Amino acid sequence: MDFIYDYISVNTFWTILFIVHALLAVALLGALTHQAMSVLMRAHQAAGPAGFVTRFTAVHGPSYAAAVCVLWIATFIFGAWIYAKYRIYVRIPIEQDGFWKTQGAFELKEHLATIGLGLLPIYWYFWKNARTVDYDSARKWLTVTLAAMCWYMFLTGHIVNNVRGFGS
Amino acid sequence: MSTTTQTAVPAQAASLASSTAFRTFATVFAIATPVIYVTCEMANIPLFTYHPGTGNMNFGWAPAVKDEGPAMHWYGWTAATLLGAGALGIIAAKLPESAARRIPLALVWIAPLAAVPVLIYALRFFWRW
Repeated sequence: MDFIYDYISVNTFWTILFIVHALLAVALLGALTHQAMSVLMRAHQAAGPAGFVTRFTAVHGPSYAAAVCVLWIATFIFGAWIYAKYRIYVRIPIEQDGFWKTQGAFELKEHLATIGLGLLPIYWYFWKNARTVDYDSARKWLTVTLAAMCWYMFLTGHIVNNVRGFGS
Repeated sequence: MSTTTQTAVPAQAASLASSTAFRTFATVFAIATPVIYVTCEMANIPLFTYHPGTGNMNFGWAPAVKDEGPAMHWYGWTAATLLGAGALGIIAAKLPESAARRIPLALVWIAPLAAVPVLIYALRFFWRW
């Protein structure tokens, strides 16, 4: 990969990777939130024109499943890639400044990312069989679990970036 | 791109989505992942250790080397978890349909949720005020 540094600086390269990781996370968060809300709040037809909540929850869940799997894996790969740099250039200063709870929250984020990865095959299977009533409960709560994990990871990543982000 | 290539992927996905063996594999994979990961994390059993300062790797657990930066075990925990859960999933996929049906599907979301308080406890070093 060193040939890239002939064209852009090392900092720019890792910044690009981080931004791609963050953008993938935004897309994943949006997809999972729509899907989770759709299973938690059954879309109901109002008498008048559909409001924001109805439109927000009235998504076709199965069409999100493959995208969520691809986005989770892609976000995971980029996160794992930049994690090595994080360990040296971010975590050490965070520890030196005594932000222990922030670091602990980030450790939990990395744990959840791996555990979420293991849930993807059955999540995909459940949504590919969205008409199978036997899977309704497991599909619903697995989707909500993944969405909750994603929200936690997104917010923790945001907080860590606030502690030790650009220019620090 | 040929027509064969265009139709092969959806057909493969459709066959996986209708495969009971894949359902059993995925169910066991999902249940085993948090269990194995928590075990690897708490007992500190990574498949390998990565030293980001030097780019070196060791098989299994290894401590940080003096003046060479930290040692990272998360990659090794992840690899061990995915391999272990994958192996269990493959074994389970060979179970007869009647046995596979007895695996409670609710465990696919209960097991990861149950892992969270255990992992929070395992991180107690960081929860200092």
